[in-house]
Amino acid sequence: MENSQTRHRPVNRWLVLLFFVLSIIAATIFPPIAPHIQVAPEVISAAPLFSLPVLGNIYLTNTLVASFIVYLSLIGIAFIVRRAIASGEMVPRGFAGAMEAGIEALYNLGESTAGRWARTIFPWFATIFFIVLLANWMELFPGVDSIGSLIEAPGEEGYPALHWGPVAAIVPEGTPGASGRYEVIPWVRVASTDLNFTGALALIAVIATQVIGVRAQGGRYFTKFINFTTIFKKPFLGAIDFAVGLLELISELARILSFAFRLFGNIFAGMVLLILVGTILPAGAKWLQSGVLVFEFFIGAIQAFVFGLLTLVFMTMATQGHAEEGDEGH
Amino acid sequence: MEGDIVQAAKFIGAGLAMIGALGGGVGIGLSVQGALEGMARNPDTYGNLFTNMILGIAFSEAIAIYCLVIAFLMLFVL
Repeated sequence: MENSQTRHRPVNRWLVLLFFVLSIIAATIFPPIAPHIQVAPEVISAAPLFSLPVLGNIYLTNTLVASFIVYLSLIGIAFIVRRAIASGEMVPRGFAGAMEAGIEALYNLGESTAGRWARTIFPWFATIFFIVLLANWMELFPGVDSIGSLIEAPGEEGYPALHWGPVAAIVPEGTPGASGRYEVIPWVRVASTDLNFTGALALIAVIATQVIGVRAQGGRYFTKFINFTTIFKKPFLGAIDFAVGLLELISELARILSFAFRLFGNIFAGMVLLILVGTILPAGAKWLQSGVLVFEFFIGAIQAFVFGLLTLVFMTMATQGHAEEGDEGH
Repeated sequence: MEGDIVQAAKFIGAGLAMIGALGGGVGIGLSVQGALEGMARNPDTYGNLFTNMILGIAFSEAIAIYCLVIAFLMLFVL
């Protein structure tokens, strides 16, 4: 965002103050209440979208909606930057300039790590980084996780709701005019709080790592896992090498799990934190939960960076023969 | 009554699972300590050390996150 500061626009500061005051007013009128929390994403379509032979019915979930919003906004960003480049300016300004600076910083990092394989590996690294970054930052937007359809809650769970025509809001117990017991099924929920999303990204990252390894080393890449190269020359040390190769295979599989659970755990914890902090705070200080947003902004960026960086490092390790790799991350 | 005991056991279990975050915290502290000492002695290595520090933090954090996932499973799924 360096280039956007060329003109002095003091109105931005007052906007920050305005949103600050608005958040205080909103949190006083509608105090945050703890909604129903579940790990699996909520299904928002009544009928299945389509059926697959092994997997069964596929429903539209709210995390799927969020991930498609992420993809569409990434494509939109790509078109904006492309138009800025096509306009012929040597130094792009504003948003395109910020994107250029970001991509350049990422590419320098990728080149310093991956060396001559940077051009092959960088697209994976940057794509994963931007997808995860946008998906994580979606939880900072108002309305994500909180706007949705109202359903009748089973038993004693849920909260009473205030109705105004077609819209309604759930409110704490004892609010005058509220009735019934309802739960909110959000229409959009952060994509990274769904293990399907993080698991899919992890699978893509690990499988692409193997593909790049084979492209770099050919069939020799698989001797990293099933290592018979030294067992005939030196039987004892060769057997140890073979066992180490099997451990490599296991660690490759464990990477899928650790990729998926790291992102899911961090962002799901962030979502629960964002929801619950507001309900823990005393009545006059509910607006303080906005501070958690800053923390989540940071965590979302760090997790996106870590996911991308680990992909970069594993792909780089796969391109090198196993003579060079001394230290394994696990 | 029985439901209450199950509920209490869930909360206790979730709390116990989070003890595992201790290891992750110690690991993150050690890796940052090492990286900062290196940076203080030789500020030129900042970029290289920072990247590797983030990697190390991610690996030790993953262990704590496993505990967190188990705690979430106990609280919200079981």
